[in-house]
Amino acid sequence: MSNNKLSNHGRRRFLKLAGTGLAVTGGIGLLPGQLRRQLLPVSDAIGAPNDPANLFFVGTDGWISLPASPAIPTFHPDTYAPTNFTTYIFGFRNMTGIPPMDPANPLNMNPLVIGQKNKAQHSAPLFWVDEFTGSNTFRLDLLNVGLAQRPDLTDSHSVHWHGFRNVIPFFDGEPTGSFAVPVGRVFRYIFKPRDPGTYMFHCHVEDVEHVHMGMTGLVFVRPRQNGNTALYPSGKFAYNDGDGSTGFDREFAMFLSEVWAESHWCDAHIQLPEWSDYRVDFALLNGRVYPDTLEPNSPFNLATSTHAYDTQRQADGDLVVPARPNLQYQPLSALVTCNAGERVLLRFANLGFKEASMTLAGIKMRVVGKDATPMRGVIAGGTARTGVDTSYETNTLSFGAGESFDAIFTAPPHSGGAGPDIYVLYNRAYDRSDNQSGGAGGQRTEIRVYPTGTISAQTIPNENPTVA
Amino acid sequence: MNTSTFRQLSRRLATPLAVVISSLAVGLPMMAMADPLGVACTSGTSPNPSFSLTTQTGDIQLPDGNTMYMWGYSVQGQSFQHPGPVLCVNQGDTVTITLTNNLPEKVSIMFPGQTDVLANGVPAQPEFDPPLPNAASRAISLTTTAPALAGNIPGVVQYSFVASQPGTYIYESGTNPQKQVRMGLFGTLIVRPAGTGGLDHLYNRADSQFTTSDNSAGAGNWDEEFLALLSEIDPYQHWAVEANLAANFNFNNYKPRYWLINGRGFPDSIADNAAPFLPTQPYGALARVHPYGAPAHPYPGAIRYLNVGSQDYPFHPHGNNGSVIGRDGRSLETAAGDDVSFEKFVVPVGPGQTWDVLFSWHDAEHYSPSNPVDINIPQIANQFFGQFYSFSPYLGVQGQQPPNWSSLNTCGEYYIISHNHALHQITSWGALMTGPVTYMRVDPPLPNSCAQ
Repeated sequence: MSNNKLSNHGRRRFLKLAGTGLAVTGGIGLLPGQLRRQLLPVSDAIGAPNDPANLFFVGTDGWISLPASPAIPTFHPDTYAPTNFTTYIFGFRNMTGIPPMDPANPLNMNPLVIGQKNKAQHSAPLFWVDEFTGSNTFRLDLLNVGLAQRPDLTDSHSVHWHGFRNVIPFFDGEPTGSFAVPVGRVFRYIFKPRDPGTYMFHCHVEDVEHVHMGMTGLVFVRPRQNGNTALYPSGKFAYNDGDGSTGFDREFAMFLSEVWAESHWCDAHIQLPEWSDYRVDFALLNGRVYPDTLEPNSPFNLATSTHAYDTQRQADGDLVVPARPNLQYQPLSALVTCNAGERVLLRFANLGFKEASMTLAGIKMRVVGKDATPMRGVIAGGTARTGVDTSYETNTLSFGAGESFDAIFTAPPHSGGAGPDIYVLYNRAYDRSDNQSGGAGGQRTEIRVYPTGTISAQTIPNENPTVA
Repeated sequence: MNTSTFRQLSRRLATPLAVVISSLAVGLPMMAMADPLGVACTSGTSPNPSFSLTTQTGDIQLPDGNTMYMWGYSVQGQSFQHPGPVLCVNQGDTVTITLTNNLPEKVSIMFPGQTDVLANGVPAQPEFDPPLPNAASRAISLTTTAPALAGNIPGVVQYSFVASQPGTYIYESGTNPQKQVRMGLFGTLIVRPAGTGGLDHLYNRADSQFTTSDNSAGAGNWDEEFLALLSEIDPYQHWAVEANLAANFNFNNYKPRYWLINGRGFPDSIADNAAPFLPTQPYGALARVHPYGAPAHPYPGAIRYLNVGSQDYPFHPHGNNGSVIGRDGRSLETAAGDDVSFEKFVVPVGPGQTWDVLFSWHDAEHYSPSNPVDINIPQIANQFFGQFYSFSPYLGVQGQQPPNWSSLNTCGEYYIISHNHALHQITSWGALMTGPVTYMRVDPPLPNSCAQ
C-alpha cells in the first residue's frame, strides 16, 4: 500500500517514505496519474529473447473463503466480499501458455490476462524447477495487472525466490536494491538453481503487507539424481544423496501461511493496520483451513503441469469452479493419500509470521533436509555435504517464518479394516489448529494410508490419484 | 587484524566523517571504533583483560522519529550507549569486569555460557530477599548484584571468570531481568579461539576461518566479521520507568512496538559504527563483503547472531545460506571432530541464543556486459526501482539513472537485503520497512573503483 505521508523530520523523512516505498523506491509509481495512464500498457518482454517462458504469473488481488462463523466483528467475513467468499487477498495466478499481449493486437494487453484482475489465488501456484545442469535456464514472467478492489493503489509486484543462493539483486525481486514490476508491465526472472531442496517465493514489494495478503507460495528444486531407478525404484529424490536415502514415491507441498482478519479487511476498506498488533486469526495449510484442507485439489491440466500445479482454467481464463465453489481460488488440497509401505516426502515451508509446530501423530518422519540443504556434514577440507548423516526422526517439526523442512515417512502397514487408515497432521500450537471456534481447524490435515497397490502412482506433486 | 586507521576511515558508507571514539581515560579499555563497519571491539589486554562498566541512562532514536529512554552498560568514563560495549577477549583469558552502578536499584551482570564466575572473589550466586534460609524469601537476582546508588555513592561489584571456550555470548542483567534487560542492560561478549587456528577463526577448527584484512591476498580486503544483536522495545514499559525509576511493569502486558538490530532500526542500521547522528547507538549492521573466490578472497565472512529479546527472530539473509558452525558458544562438531554444521537461509535465533554463522556470496553466473542476462532489460519507465539499485544487472557496472534521481549506489555494488522474516517485526509502530533490516553489500572484485 503506497500512502504518501510526508513528514518534516529531516532524515526521518527518508524513513517515513521508505515505509511507503516512495523514497527508497522510485520509478513509474512516482509519475502523476495521468502520465501513468498514458504510459500503459507496455511490455518489454515482447520480441526478445524469443524463448518462451516456463511459467507466466500474473499478480493481482482477489477473494478467498475462510469459515464465516464465528464472525470477527467488523473484520470477518468482509462485507465487501463477493458471494461465496469472505476475505480479501493479494496473490498470483498461473497463466502459462497465454501470451501477455493480445495476439490480434500486439500493442494491447491480452484480455484473457487482464481479465484475471481480482481473481488471485492463495496459496500461490505451486511450482518446481530442475536443478540447473548447464542449459536448462528457467524463465518466469511476471505481469502486474493491478488491483481491482483498490484502484487507488499502484503497487508494484515482484517474485522473490526465498533462499536462492548467490542471487543477483536484478533477479531477487527485492525492490530497494533492485526493482519491481509496476502495473501493466512484464518482467522476466531468470533462475539457474544449483541447490535442490524446498524453497518458497513471495512478492517482496512492501513485503509485510504483500506477503501477509497472500502473495506467497512454495517452490522446490528437483535434484539431477532424479531418474536414477537403481538408487530408488521411483527415481524420485529430494537431494543428490548418492545412496537413495532421500528417495520417495509421493511428494506433497505443505505450505503454511496466516490470515490476520483485520489487516485483510483494512486493505479492502482503504485502511492501514498497525502491524505490531499482529495476530493469527486463521492458520492456513496450502491456502485452506481444516476441514477444507481435506477437500480435493481443483483439477489440473496434466499436459501443462510440467513445472507447476497448473489448475484447469475456464474459457475466459478464470480458474475452474470446483465441487465446493467457495474454494475456487484455493485450489490446492493438503490431503495426503498413499499406499502402505510407500515413502512419502512432505515439503514444509512457512511464510506465516509465527513459529509452527507440525505434528504427525502415529508416524515418525525422518528429516532429510532443511532450508534446501541435505542433512549431512562437510567432510574435512571439502565443501560438499557428503559427511556425517545428521538426519533424524521426529513426530514434530518446529519451524518459524521463512524456514523449510523436508521430511520423509514410510506409510505403515494397513490395519486391514475398511477404507484407509487415517493419521492426523496438525499444528501442535493449538491456537493455530482451530478456526476461532474451538475444535479442529486451521493447520490440520490427514494422511490416508490405503492397502498396498490401491492408489496409482502420482503424476505430479500433491496429486491424490483417484482411489479405484 | 589490521587496524590501519587511514584505510578504515575512508571506508565509510554514509557519514561524511567517521568518528573515532577513544577511551577518555588512560588505562581503560579501548573501544576500537575507528572501523566504520563490522564488529567494533572493546578490548583489554590479554591474558588478563579488565573492563570497567557503569550503568547509565540515556535516549536512543527510533526509525519512526520517536526517541526512547533506556538503561545501558557503558565503559567507565564514557556516556550512555546502547547496546552495551562489545567485549572481545581471547580464549583462556582471565576476564575481570568491574560494574559501577549509578541506578537507584540493585543491578548485576550475568554471563550465560561462562562457568565458575566469581563475584568479588567468591562464586557468584543468586540473591534472595529476605536472605536464605527463610521460607518467605524470593529470588531477586539470578546472580550477585552491585548495590543500588546510595546518595551519590554508586554500588560496585567485580566479576571475574576464565573465558574457557571460544564463541559468541550474551552478557545481561540477572536482576529483575524482565525490567532491566528489557530496559537495555545487555551486550555482547566475544571469545576468540586460542588454538592453532588463530584469532581470525570462530572456533578451534580450520574451517571456521573468516576473512580479515590480514589473511586475504588481495589488497583492499577488510575484516568481514559482523554482529547481529536482536532486541525489541515495548514503549509503555520504558515510559513507565522513565516517569518513575522504581516502577515495575506488568510483563503480562508486554507488547513490543519496536524491533532493533545492534540497537538500531533500519535504515539507521546501515549507517557506520559511531555515526555522529546516532550518538548513543554506536553499532552499525551493514555487512560489506567481496565476492568469494580464491586466491584474493579465499575465506567467508562471519556473522555473530544474538537474541537478547523475548521473542523469536527468524532472520533471513537473502542470497546466501549461512553455514551454522556454532551455537551458544559451542562448535557444531562431533567428539571425533566430524563436522555437523548445517546451512540455513533463515537463522532462527531464539531468546537468549547465539548463532555463529559463516556466509559468502559467490558470483555464480558471472553476468557482465559481455555475458549479459538473457532477457530484455526493461526501460527505466517500466521499473519500480530502489535507492540502492545500480540500474544495471552487473556487479561493478552502473547504468543510466533517471533524471531527478539520487542513487545511493556508488560503484555498481550489490545490495542484498537481510531481514527478520517475522515481517510484522520489521515495522516501528506504524513505520514500515524499519527494524531489524540490513544489507549484505557486495563490492566488485578487487581492484575496483569503489571508495574503500
